[in-house]
Amino acid sequence: MAEALLVKEAGSVTVPASGARPFWRRLRRRRSALVAAVVVALLVLVALAAPLLSGIEGQNPTAYHPDLVDSATGGVPLGSFGGISGDHWLGVEPLTGRDLFARVAYGARVSLGVALGATLLQVVIGVGIGLSAGLGNRFVDQALSRLTDVVVALPVMVIALGALAVVPAGFPRPVLIALIVGLVGWSGISKIVRAQTLALKSLDHVAAARLSGWGPWQIARRELLPALAAPVITYAVLLFPSNIVVEAALSFLGVGIKPPTPSWGQMLSDADTWYQAAPTYLLVPALLLFVTVLALTVLGEGVRTALDPRAESRLRIGTRSKKEAGA
Amino acid sequence: MRQPSVISRRVAAAAVVLVVVGGAAACGPADSKDADGDSGAAGKPHKGGTLTVLNSSPQEDFDPARLYTSGGGNVPSLVFRTLTTRNREDGAAGAKVVPDLATDLGTPSKDATVWTYTLKDGLKYEDGSAITSADIKYGIERSFAAELSGGAPYLRDWLVGGADYEGPYKGGKGLDSIETPDAKTIVFHLVKPEGEFPYLATQTQTTPVPKAKDTGTKYEEHPLSSGPYKVVENEGDGERLVLERNPHWSQATDEERKAYPDRIDVRSGLDSAVINQRLSASQGTDAAAVTTDTNLGPAELAKVAGDKKLSARVGTGHFGYTNYIAFNPKVKPFDDPKVRQAISYAVDRSSVVNAAGGSALAEPATTFLPNQKSFGYTPYDAFPAGRTGDPAKAKELLKEAGYPNGLTVTLTHNNEKNFATSPEIATALQEALKKAGITVKLQGLEDNAYSDTVYNIKSEPGFFLGGWGADWPSGGPFFAPVFDGRQIVKSGYNFNSAQLDDPAVNKEIDEINKLTDLSAAAERWGALDKKVGEQALTVPLFHPVYKRLYGKSVKNVVISDWTGVLDISQVAVK
Repeated sequence: MAEALLVKEAGSVTVPASGARPFWRRLRRRRSALVAAVVVALLVLVALAAPLLSGIEGQNPTAYHPDLVDSATGGVPLGSFGGISGDHWLGVEPLTGRDLFARVAYGARVSLGVALGATLLQVVIGVGIGLSAGLGNRFVDQALSRLTDVVVALPVMVIALGALAVVPAGFPRPVLIALIVGLVGWSGISKIVRAQTLALKSLDHVAAARLSGWGPWQIARRELLPALAAPVITYAVLLFPSNIVVEAALSFLGVGIKPPTPSWGQMLSDADTWYQAAPTYLLVPALLLFVTVLALTVLGEGVRTALDPRAESRLRIGTRSKKEAGA
Repeated sequence: MRQPSVISRRVAAAAVVLVVVGGAAACGPADSKDADGDSGAAGKPHKGGTLTVLNSSPQEDFDPARLYTSGGGNVPSLVFRTLTTRNREDGAAGAKVVPDLATDLGTPSKDATVWTYTLKDGLKYEDGSAITSADIKYGIERSFAAELSGGAPYLRDWLVGGADYEGPYKGGKGLDSIETPDAKTIVFHLVKPEGEFPYLATQTQTTPVPKAKDTGTKYEEHPLSSGPYKVVENEGDGERLVLERNPHWSQATDEERKAYPDRIDVRSGLDSAVINQRLSASQGTDAAAVTTDTNLGPAELAKVAGDKKLSARVGTGHFGYTNYIAFNPKVKPFDDPKVRQAISYAVDRSSVVNAAGGSALAEPATTFLPNQKSFGYTPYDAFPAGRTGDPAKAKELLKEAGYPNGLTVTLTHNNEKNFATSPEIATALQEALKKAGITVKLQGLEDNAYSDTVYNIKSEPGFFLGGWGADWPSGGPFFAPVFDGRQIVKSGYNFNSAQLDDPAVNKEIDEINKLTDLSAAAERWGALDKKVGEQALTVPLFHPVYKRLYGKSVKNVVISDWTGVLDISQVAVK
């Protein structure tokens, strides 16, 4: 949905208030964005410090603890709330007794890392193709735009399922998933960048630059990229959570991350039959995934409005909000 | 052995496993006298009512020539009687073979290469006509026809002239190695001694089919019943199968089938979670429902275990099966017995058993043969690893083998979440072997790719998770395909993963096959298993156990160790 909204909006030329400072000021003023940013920062911190945190807990994500589950009744964790204790902060996994906190923390590395890699790739390719299409001659524009249309139609999941089945097992899975998602999911950014580029191209300062003999590369770098930063960043921040979901879905389907490396999607997949017998097992990765995607989406909205204050005021037309938007 | 045979045997093994794994057997209530009033399992069974069978796999190709069954199958056995059948009793007693259409288990002669059977008196089909030995001969012959393929390969392998016989439809020729001197006698001539022929005679291929009623490939739509029920409806190739009483079946000639319900309604194509949910809710017709192919997974068992009323409706079944680590000694470093022994010592069976669903769903294994007497189970533990493994001993052996700093190996497993060869088991082993300084890399393959890769000597990895079950509960079909050097298949499916070709082992297999005293044979299989086990060609991990739910008005639950599933010929719903 965010994509549709943005693509539609991309038709208008957004020239943001320049400079980073007003942006930060506006972002800070949005409390929801602030909270979301803190949550995201915490999650990133947990991911980065996973070995340290599980070290403090005294656990690691792969060690089996056969004595912490009730072997006679299908392997439910012993103790209440899935075996939560001082030693196992979030309890243990049914059947294996592996520590859930350590798995969740290490899983964050995979989930966030893969999504980050995929998003960066999407941005790089999308901006490259979009700029080339916008600045190139008619032939280049046509070719690249049709290519983009084709890529829009590519079903990420189906392609990923196929590719993951074909690529040799030795290839590192997180990198592979990031590559696939990145290579298939850049079309939205490229469309926005092309539309913006076309609009910006006709502006006086760009035309002046061109008349003074600048090459396309120079124009792109000096005049266009700074103006493109706002929509691209906005879109990227919204792509990020959807990439998390794609990785989770692939791992959920059993073709994503390979065991014993944990990922949230894979944990969800393992936990889906346990929702009655060991609810904590399902709730922990499910809630984390939910909170992460929500926080990132809220942050994305915040970034978008902070970068383009007029968007917010446009959205509020007719709502008679007391608090007038915009700085 | 010829390649096609082995392929089908493997497929069959897989099919049997599917059936059992798909549905754990639910029984036990038969002997739990203290079951509360809600559960009728302990009550006295009466005739009448409709039994509903909720299954995931349909009863496809419902033709006795085409069915691949263990002991005649569950639903098929209600319609098709066979020369011999399995004993319909709980537990170990149910692993015995008993006469069905025949008066006894057969009379062997000439070193068990000739088997003679006499039919009981008063045997009739559903149309009232008499069952003759010629019909049994014809039934077997038609199973050789290419258009009726699907059955086990044994008859083709064992009967004289079987290898080249193409069935009765081409040229109308019969198979001379089956003689019917009179309407009650049938004689089989085999190419080699086969003391276990009575077990083979339980398969539906020995079901009588009158030549006059044979409609070829259409016979499966309405096969002529010789058992207590006849087919009145078969929709969607066995997806819905409705059986009603066969009035000409006589209890007096059939000691095995109880046939309490008047009607049996088999509904298939259901998801296993749905089946277990419906059985636990036990509403309406589901109260009189059972399943013959769906078991409780670990999470479902955990849920049921918390509910007394529900757990009274869970039965336990054993089916002879072993999950193990297989080595290919042609791949380094597994050519070194010390490396294989080190891994045998390093294995942590308690975490493997937990990964397979816990002690209720898996029993730790140290023998290749299943832990049942009929297979010749002889307890041994060639490399005692204790409950959780002996990494110190493993390290010592690795040092002797020239790996003082440990080594790195790749374990191939199935990606399917089957709690048998799946990632959970592989990661459990990975953790255990880590303690012995062995770094295990995991190679997970999709289900089909996994079977194609590990059961083919051209692509067989050095170290993988395997499992094996047999077509009937005895050492022969369990042990020989995996350790008989003459059963190594050069191209196609091969189950002798260690590619063991030991003349002494081969000779002993031949010797045991000559024995017609099945318990004496079982003992020899056990001794042979122990001897081969010392070579550490496999690391036995666990024998699965199956838990099965049934509806609350189901009575007389019997689960034999032959099938490990609830026997619907015994179930009553009144």
